[in-house]
Amino acid sequence: MIKQALLEELLAVALSTGGDFSEVYAEHTRSNTIQFVDGKVDKVNDTVLSGVGIRIFRGERTVYASTSDLTREGLLTCARSAADAMGEGNAPISIRLTPTSVFDRHPVAKHPCTSDLSERIDLLKAGCLSAKEYDARIAQVQGWILGVDREILVANSEGLCKEDRHIRTRMGVSAVASDGNENQSGGCAPGRGMGLEMFEEFDPRDIGRHAAKMAITNLTAEYCPAGQMTVAIENGFGGVIFHEACGHSLEATQVGVGMSEMCGKLGEKIASEKITAIDDGTIAGAWGSVNIDDEGTPTQRNVLIENGVLKNYMIDRLGSRRLGMAMTGSGRRENYTFEPTSRMTNTFIDNGPDKNEDIIASIEYGLYAKEMGGGSVNPLTGAFNFSVREGYLVRNGKICEAVRGASLIGTGSQILKDIDMVGQNLATGQGVCGSSSGSVPTDVGQPLIRVSKITVGGR
Amino acid sequence: MEFNQVKEVLVAEANRAGLSEYEIYFMESGSMSAETLKDEISSFSSGVRGGVSFRCIVNGRLGAAATELMEESEMRELVARAVRNAAVIESDDPVIFYDGDESYATPLLPEIENPDAARIKAVALAVQKQIYAQSEFVTDGTQSGVFTTNVRRELVNSHGLHLSDGYHACGAYAQAVIEKNGESQDDFDCCLGLAASDLAKLPENAVKDALAKIGAVEIDSGKYDIIIQGKQMRALLSTFSSVFSAKAAQLGLSLLRGKEGSVIASDAVTLIDDPMRENYPAQVTFDGEGVATKKKAVIENGVLTTLLYDLSTAEKAGKKSTGNGQRKSYASPVSISPYSFYLAGGEFSEDDLKARLGDGIYLTELKGLHAGANDVTGDFSIESAGYLVKDGKLSTAVKSFTVAGNFFELLKNIEALSDTVHFDASTGFTSYGSPDVLIRNMSVAGK
Repeated sequence: MIKQALLEELLAVALSTGGDFSEVYAEHTRSNTIQFVDGKVDKVNDTVLSGVGIRIFRGERTVYASTSDLTREGLLTCARSAADAMGEGNAPISIRLTPTSVFDRHPVAKHPCTSDLSERIDLLKAGCLSAKEYDARIAQVQGWILGVDREILVANSEGLCKEDRHIRTRMGVSAVASDGNENQSGGCAPGRGMGLEMFEEFDPRDIGRHAAKMAITNLTAEYCPAGQMTVAIENGFGGVIFHEACGHSLEATQVGVGMSEMCGKLGEKIASEKITAIDDGTIAGAWGSVNIDDEGTPTQRNVLIENGVLKNYMIDRLGSRRLGMAMTGSGRRENYTFEPTSRMTNTFIDNGPDKNEDIIASIEYGLYAKEMGGGSVNPLTGAFNFSVREGYLVRNGKICEAVRGASLIGTGSQILKDIDMVGQNLATGQGVCGSSSGSVPTDVGQPLIRVSKITVGGR
Repeated sequence: MEFNQVKEVLVAEANRAGLSEYEIYFMESGSMSAETLKDEISSFSSGVRGGVSFRCIVNGRLGAAATELMEESEMRELVARAVRNAAVIESDDPVIFYDGDESYATPLLPEIENPDAARIKAVALAVQKQIYAQSEFVTDGTQSGVFTTNVRRELVNSHGLHLSDGYHACGAYAQAVIEKNGESQDDFDCCLGLAASDLAKLPENAVKDALAKIGAVEIDSGKYDIIIQGKQMRALLSTFSSVFSAKAAQLGLSLLRGKEGSVIASDAVTLIDDPMRENYPAQVTFDGEGVATKKKAVIENGVLTTLLYDLSTAEKAGKKSTGNGQRKSYASPVSISPYSFYLAGGEFSEDDLKARLGDGIYLTELKGLHAGANDVTGDFSIESAGYLVKDGKLSTAVKSFTVAGNFFELLKNIEALSDTVHFDASTGFTSYGSPDVLIRNMSVAGK
């Protein structure tokens, strides 16, 4: 993307005013989204993003400058403005880069941006039409298919120089059901770190039917009652509970500056011993996987909690300095305009000892949260919330009528202790996680779990 | 390549491709920010980016493509991509490139300074120092920051329209972390501009509000009368703003479909969209299609006077665009969105509104709105915090409860509003504002 000699010059200029580490990140990302509305192709969004971010460290202080001007002059101006913001001086620095190749764990068979548009349109139509045909009460269906091809280069003053390419594909269908008086919605949006071959695993028609079924279920559901109760949370996107309630609090971004309820708890038992939780950026073809993070560090399988004991945090380069701990391949950013920080990749609670049927049978009265929506957390206090997109009341160990409009709130440290049963049907769901370095693709996951007591928001 | 060169290459390429209807939208932005930790600047960042999108109409279908790689070969490829994309569009929605309006508003841009890097760092450090000076309970993790942004846009089309505008803005924030009686809490405040009087309030507000949360108690589930603080009500308005889009209505995704001219809110409610609001920095004069932006009441004394339209939805409805076809970046497609969107102030002072509430909850935090609210149904169930109000006076801090309701019902149930509108510190094309609002009988889930 940028010639080695120029990279070395930029790194040297960046270090000339007292910095002790410099890094150049270059990116060329093509993304293509086809949108389907009301039975027709409505829009094609087709964008090239291209630019460079230059970062300098001095101890734990950082400077970051980015530009979309890729001329030699534009890049040198960017490096100088970063250097000027760090300090004064004009130290002669010499940088020697050693380019190394990156092993690709996620080879792509059918490129999602450059393949024939009509192939993608056919897949999307199949998904949307099956949603529309699911039930006469499905009033509106919208869908999209996304392809992203992200080429990155990371070079730093320690000599690292790596290029990598991340390709991902995702399809989303949302359905609105209407009985004339009110509307209810449902959705489904699986994604993979692969090309169109992901649809060998996911039949687009199942994506559409899944969305439609959720909308219809909600249309006939009553409002969820409010109060504290026992809740069983299903696998897949249910793992958002760990992502919000605990994952963010284990990021070095928070832990490194003392802004997490998980500070200083390594080696402590923080959860029921049925819980082992992992962040693994290496899973082949997974939505949150990358070969290297956006700082050039290989991703890894990072055991965060093992049998209830806190084992590690998710640590980026700056976090590594702050905590004096090794990097974990967790430095990520949405694009070149963001300074990277510690982020999750594919984060999940592993299978546990309990049989799924025993979990439901154990609940006298409570909520079965079959599908979760998104949520948020304050890592300082651990207070989190997330929404239930499809839920059912449980009575006497049996799943009963559907309820809608529920949310779950609590604190991370408490819910980790209150997860008292962990099932055996681990599956993941795809999300886009927002934080200070922008929005990045992440997988969440878990088997069916039981939370002995949590506040359910409803009415 | 400068915009003029980009434009020349794109126009030549469009002509070569035989395109008679095309449009070029260019946007360039710059930003700087400084952030503190303990007593030093922990990070400083700056950025410049610029990109262009090309749209064309081929056989009545709209094609578009965007890039920020400003090279001649890329520009030629951009036109080819847009043409290719147009070929697969099936939508029969009207596609229109605009001839232009007779006149465009003149921004009354507030006098916001354009600080340099040294000033940004100095202000951030001064705010940080003031946070620590507020209380012995302030602890590390506390952060302050200053940010600037500047934007320049140009729109050129084959109808001879050529528009340009731009603005700059800056602001500051304080994020106080406190530790007291073994409990940690934080709070946040921010302002637009760097006026000394505004900066002085940030540390005060953030520390005071964080301290007030210490020792908060849980409350019983039940029905409560509630005042939603302006800061929180504007966030709720932001979450549900898409229901005012004519596109959402025409697609049957907004329950306001067919409701123009009907009562949709209590008569105390007036909702304004004003791109030229005083002290609003992003006073853009034209939308992403070249239509002049203008002020309008969307709800007036409870009646839905208009939805927000772009050219296509207006044509479909036999109306005129309201100038709300925004494009928030060089790459964004046209999307209907408000500018400065706010609930107009009511007749009560904030204290009088609490007196009118009597006993209930003063809601000062709504969290996870992106997840806990559904704009298709209007339903929400949101993690909340605030204070109990007894006899019109604030008492105990309360936490860990949810407030559930429906946005459309809530609009009808607004009993009264305070007289001061609290605007956010957004430097982008859309900003929200609201006074405190009093609503009776809302569902709360607590312990």
